[in-house]
Amino acid sequence: MSEHPDIRDLLGPYVMDTLEPHEEREVEDHLEGCASCREEAQDLRLAHERLADLAYTTETPPPDLKERVVAGIPRREARRRIPSWVAAVAAALCVLVVLGAVLTPDLFGGGALASASLSPTGRAPDAGGEVSIQDTGENMEMRLEAWGLPPCKSEQYYELWLVEGDDRVSAGSFTVGESGQVDVRLNAPNFAGSYTEVGITAEHDKDPRASDIKMLSGELHEL
Amino acid sequence: MDRVEDEVLVRRVASGDERALSGLYDRYAGLVYGTGMRYLGDRGTAEELVQDVFTSVWRNAAGFDPARASFATWVYRITRNRATDLIRRRKARVRTVDGEPLFEPGEMDPSGDLSRNFDVAAALSRLTPAHREVLVLAYFHGFSQREISDRTATPLGTVKSRTTAALRALRETMSFDEDRWSSDE
Repeated sequence: MSEHPDIRDLLGPYVMDTLEPHEEREVEDHLEGCASCREEAQDLRLAHERLADLAYTTETPPPDLKERVVAGIPRREARRRIPSWVAAVAAALCVLVVLGAVLTPDLFGGGALASASLSPTGRAPDAGGEVSIQDTGENMEMRLEAWGLPPCKSEQYYELWLVEGDDRVSAGSFTVGESGQVDVRLNAPNFAGSYTEVGITAEHDKDPRASDIKMLSGELHEL
Repeated sequence: MDRVEDEVLVRRVASGDERALSGLYDRYAGLVYGTGMRYLGDRGTAEELVQDVFTSVWRNAAGFDPARASFATWVYRITRNRATDLIRRRKARVRTVDGEPLFEPGEMDPSGDLSRNFDVAAALSRLTPAHREVLVLAYFHGFSQREISDRTATPLGTVKSRTTAALRALRETMSFDEDRWSSDE
């Protein structure tokens, strides 16, 4: 099939019936004598028909419907991935309570669910950091300690992101002074524990998306 | 959320991630709404169907088992069942003077065309952004190859070859999906 790439490139628009008349004749002349391209065209025609059928059935919903759908969903306590050892420890603590052991309140405090060591990019080779995600009992919290970051100038700030594949959700922003160090606690989304990576970008505008200026990144590991 | 798999998004929905629900909405709401318009016949009920379906996805995401069926199959079944409920409810309200229902409830989607549409929507969401763009502009917005070339500032010849490559990729993804889930049905 690769011996006639120009014709083969036209097979998509051909099955969609969107070629210029002279191109269409050219393709049809070729198909008469080329079994492999006929087979390819048949395959593409099936994809075309399925897609045309999907487009026929699909209609654009009113623009505000999505907002109404999201506003209408029942709120719930988010599920979190609880490591198996947490469940084992909880069970052990219950046994101790039953036995009348004296337990300090700290033992019931929320522990870290996941953590990440942050590695630098070329933009700040001496930078580093640690992130941990903790369940405080009332909400999820991310603790960030980082060092070696360039101090922020006016309008500049850093943003911490939860990352999985191409998907990113902000976990909050912070600034860094002359020390280049930061130790902050940020309110994390309830589903923070379901992401696989964290990253820090340098930002300088109000664009809610992550900038391309990546400073630190690391993989989240459940504890 | 380009190219994050449906099944990953459902897992996040189960964790309470509204953005993930929003991502699934972007992929399937047009099809659910179009289904409502086709089978239920009016905008208000079609909107009700969309709300019911995505509320059900939100409520039941934790019970979704990707080993048993794709998300597309799952959301198709929810859509079909909710649409059938709405049809029955409406028919129950429309009665003759003798109190009999005006219509008998009919089977929805006996040919399986609607089910296949959900599978194609899933396959489309898995294409690269460049491939998806040319197909969406052509099929869902009705643009000609030349108009797509103008809108995307891409040479016409590239648009044609990209359209071919995108249809080929869609066909391959559809085949993969059919093989992947064929043992389920």
